[in-house]
Amino acid sequence: MADFTWTTRSPLQQAVIAGRHGAAIAKAGIRLSEIRDFDLVQVFARRGQWAATAKAAKAYFGVAAPTGPKAVTGKKGVLVWSGADQFMALSPRLGTIQPVDGLRGVFEGFASLSDQSDGRCLIRLSGPRVREMLAKVNSLDLHDGVFPIGAAATTSIDHTAVNLWRDADAPDGSPVFNVLVFSSFADSLWHTLVDSAAEYGIEVETVSIAVD
Amino acid sequence: MASAQSNRLAKGGLIDRNAPLSFTFDGKAMIGYAGDTLASALVANGVTLVGRSFKYHRPRGILTAGPEEPNALVELRSGARREANTKATTAELYDGLDALSQNRWPSLGFDVMSVNSLLSPIFVAGFYYKTFMWPAKFWEKLYEPAIRRAAGLGRTSGIADPDHYEKAWAHCDVLVVGSGPAGLAAALAAGRTGARVILAEEDRLAGGRLNSDGGEIDGMPAGEWLAGALAELEALPNVRIMTRTAVFGVYDGGTYGALERVNDHLPVPPVHQPRQRLWRIVAKRCVVAAGAIERPIVFSGNDRPGVMMASAVRTYVERFAAAPGKRLALFTNNDDGWKTVEAAHRAGIEIAAVIDSRKDLSQHHRALAQSGGFAVHNGVVVDVKGGKTGVSGVEIALANGGSAQIAADVLAMSGGWNPSVGLSSHHRGRPKWREDIAAFVPEGAPAGMLSAGAANGDFSLSACLRTGHEAGLAAASDLGFKGRAGKAPAASDEAISISPLWHVEGRKKGFVDFQHDVTASDIALAQREGFESVEHLKRYTTLGMATDQGKNSNVTGLAIMSELTRRSIPQTGTTIYRPPHVPVAIGAFAGHHRDENFHSVRLTPSHHWAAERGAVFVDTGLWKRAQWYPIAGENDWLTSVNREVLTVRNGVGFCDVSTLGKIDVMGKDAGAFLDRVYINAFASLAVGKARYGLMLREDGIVMDDGTTSRLAEDHYFLTTTTAKAGPVMQYLEFCRQVLWPELDVQLTSCTDQWAQFSIAGPKTRDLLREIVDPAEDLSNEGFPFMGVREVRLRGGMFARLFRISFSGEMAFEISVPARYGDAMARNLMKAGEPFGVVPYGTEALGVMRIEKGHIAGAELNGTTTADDLGLGKMMSKKKDFVGRVMAGREALTAPDRQVVVGLKPVDKARRLRSGAHIIPKGAAVGPDTDQGYVTSVCHSPMLGQWIGLGLVERGRERIGEIVRAHDPLRGEDYYVEICNPVFYDPEGGRQRG
Repeated sequence: MADFTWTTRSPLQQAVIAGRHGAAIAKAGIRLSEIRDFDLVQVFARRGQWAATAKAAKAYFGVAAPTGPKAVTGKKGVLVWSGADQFMALSPRLGTIQPVDGLRGVFEGFASLSDQSDGRCLIRLSGPRVREMLAKVNSLDLHDGVFPIGAAATTSIDHTAVNLWRDADAPDGSPVFNVLVFSSFADSLWHTLVDSAAEYGIEVETVSIAVD
Repeated sequence: MASAQSNRLAKGGLIDRNAPLSFTFDGKAMIGYAGDTLASALVANGVTLVGRSFKYHRPRGILTAGPEEPNALVELRSGARREANTKATTAELYDGLDALSQNRWPSLGFDVMSVNSLLSPIFVAGFYYKTFMWPAKFWEKLYEPAIRRAAGLGRTSGIADPDHYEKAWAHCDVLVVGSGPAGLAAALAAGRTGARVILAEEDRLAGGRLNSDGGEIDGMPAGEWLAGALAELEALPNVRIMTRTAVFGVYDGGTYGALERVNDHLPVPPVHQPRQRLWRIVAKRCVVAAGAIERPIVFSGNDRPGVMMASAVRTYVERFAAAPGKRLALFTNNDDGWKTVEAAHRAGIEIAAVIDSRKDLSQHHRALAQSGGFAVHNGVVVDVKGGKTGVSGVEIALANGGSAQIAADVLAMSGGWNPSVGLSSHHRGRPKWREDIAAFVPEGAPAGMLSAGAANGDFSLSACLRTGHEAGLAAASDLGFKGRAGKAPAASDEAISISPLWHVEGRKKGFVDFQHDVTASDIALAQREGFESVEHLKRYTTLGMATDQGKNSNVTGLAIMSELTRRSIPQTGTTIYRPPHVPVAIGAFAGHHRDENFHSVRLTPSHHWAAERGAVFVDTGLWKRAQWYPIAGENDWLTSVNREVLTVRNGVGFCDVSTLGKIDVMGKDAGAFLDRVYINAFASLAVGKARYGLMLREDGIVMDDGTTSRLAEDHYFLTTTTAKAGPVMQYLEFCRQVLWPELDVQLTSCTDQWAQFSIAGPKTRDLLREIVDPAEDLSNEGFPFMGVREVRLRGGMFARLFRISFSGEMAFEISVPARYGDAMARNLMKAGEPFGVVPYGTEALGVMRIEKGHIAGAELNGTTTADDLGLGKMMSKKKDFVGRVMAGREALTAPDRQVVVGLKPVDKARRLRSGAHIIPKGAAVGPDTDQGYVTSVCHSPMLGQWIGLGLVERGRERIGEIVRAHDPLRGEDYYVEICNPVFYDPEGGRQRG
């Protein structure tokens, strides 16, 4: 019998080409990163069980689950609001086991869990021109006073549904936005993002997720 | 050698004399300066004739200096970038610009079609309607194309636009439209309070009329004040100045459309940059400070090249240091026109005379005439002398009954000013007439919008600054901004006096709408023929329907109509204002969404693997799916598809079915929820089993179908068709949130989470036994038909395995997290190699489902009931479900409904085609005998002929009947036999094997 190996392949594997793209400007205006190796679980409170779900989340992740459009960072992961009574738990990949198994004990009886680790790709956008670039593909007002660090939205980028949230600023002070997009759309969306960013100069990279 | 800039003034102007730019007009090389528009460069080069009019091909010159220009339309650029109807007055000059005049043949100077002008007695309003009525069928093929050739404007390139356009969003508290004195004062006031301000300016430069009219503000020359104001605004982090950006429309919820001409001023946009950008600006408040447009007076010869708006003359002289003539006459009915005389006099242009229709002359103007040494005539211009290249003099009818002749080479005219009420009227506002200024001002503006300055009828510089400041402050404080706005900038008051004069009767044509050649007599004719309403007047004469949308002509036209009908101007009223206020290229509306970016694309987990194998892809919705996988030596699709089908039916094959919609339905009440949305029972489904389900719409028509499995007591895994994945998810969310919020059920889309493959064929188990852990029992007993469970795979993997079949063969679907989809495709090839496995595409999938009589999108087409599809028995009688009641309606249960049957041509060699109508044998073709149609067809390699499914009246009672397939679209007519839709293995033994 043949041996079988199970090599993973990101939906962005072909699209992401590390290095400089677009306009040849000394400092790239946009940094585009594919974030890999994460577990993502949709946590959806059972009817009437939001309080218990939030409490369980706090005990496990070390941070209260968001009750509105916010992303909060705990010691074990980032909790991104995704609708009434639900959030997505994003954390570094623990292994090849199904990530819902690891959380089942935490939310037993309180919440339904759905593995989305492969259902979404995570793209991080930053750089001094990132707001101008996002303005081409997203209708939200991402002004600092309106969309502060930790703000989240279920919105669309170029007609593609995404979860968008703002992370802590980059070391150079420029804002950082995270985008979760359905995997089948990722290749297409990536090209749109590159096109939108090209005039500012782009630095592309692939990195593993880190939660701090 | 380029011509000298004969009419360039020695000094002044906002141009860079150190940056000469070469350009051509109709092939003639000329020089202008950076800062010029094409129009100002033409003026500087002494060019007066720039185009031919639309209908009469009359010679025309530059009328205005702004975006309202009706005459000076050119073809700009060449090759694929050639663009028609570009206004020379807004086209910024660049080095190497090539412009061609339009609508003339063979040349601008000698135009054959100008004979139309001699025939003008027949080219009157309504001419086309009256003349080309009969015979009606000639219109489309003969009359219209001929008329369009004769009356056309510029030509498009006919080649795909090589430039890139994009769209963008912007947000602010206060949007200020226009950066003249009112707009600047508004932006300063609002900006200083801390409000987020966008100041949008259509021009390259901020400043509006300050750049042409000068004046003194806060004790400084206007230019100096302007520089200071801009510096302050640029320093405010909450203020954004957008030049070259025209706000063209007001939309719902405080959204404004604006067009930024990012790189129109360059021959070719820099790499990676768009040509134009379409903005949607979301603003909580808006201050319209878009100024006003000076209106012509209608008199004989008012369209002769060299007759120009007075304000435009001023702009060419002051802003561009270009003299439209050497000896100027002014015809005015108001004080503002006199400013042109002052400016021209300062610039050393000789003043021939001022013809003022008003009796009383102000002290100031009398002194001016004295010092300038020119005559002032109280009267009107009745004719303009000259030729196609310019004015030589004017004929005046004096108020005292006499007449006078004046020699001049440029006639400036001023009929007063029309505030720009376009934007403020976009939500059906009807502008209000003000007698004192003889003009319409905004009324009924969209919520959150204020107008200020000339746009609101406040014409003087001091009033512009004051009302602009007030509007900016009001907008900001209304939003709660409390910062100090400072004081309004101040200027000295000036007299604004006007005495309306619309039309001077004359012997020759006086033009109202220059671009569409609508004259005063056309309006009179329209009135005589009963087209008195302004909306009728507009359509009958085409007044205001040209590319300038009547910016120069609408008010004058309706004023003339009001005189003719002896009604007041308010009684006559205005036409409705609609976006866009300025022309916007379709390319800008399309933005990024063209060619490969027309829409987003979804890729399956095995896409790149399939591409490596040379798969042919088909668009199914947004998805790219492998349609078939040709191998060496196969040149046509049917060969490949037949091979794939036969391999599956005789061996094994697999197909990526990840595109099916997948939804996790979880919670204590998940089963009860599914019982309500499906026509058949799901609460009773055992854990570890799958069941085919059908959903109805509320009206009883089938919505979607799919297989749903129970993975745990409180967890179902629901699948939808590829096409309906999104709509079904939305619908189920609606049911959960709105219809039955009391149920404990949670829904999550997991379509993209799982890579799912259908493995089918008699050797399916052989293949699976290679890849699945040997401990897993795949026998009929260990894994029965419609069984579901998680299994271990060799190599340290797990998968969900579903024993379901769409092909009618022994089949499983195997599902792994999507990142392993590529590996799964490769491993299935490896595991199946000993058994001759092939990947198969959507064509083979379709063939096998038709051979099995399985319904798909063509039958689930929004008109069919469960019974039509042969699934009526699935409708549970023990429970309620969505669509149950309405499905019982008489029409939906009528015995003569069209139902799914199989169809096969009597002549086995004949190809069956979808869409063919089913007509009873011997009946005449017609709607009364039409009994249905062919929905799905394929060539069946198993039967060796074309077969299909169709919807046929009483079809199930007519098995064996021969009917006609009538296909007028393809000109075919042949006999087909109605048969059982299950063509292959009707007992279903193979899938249970």
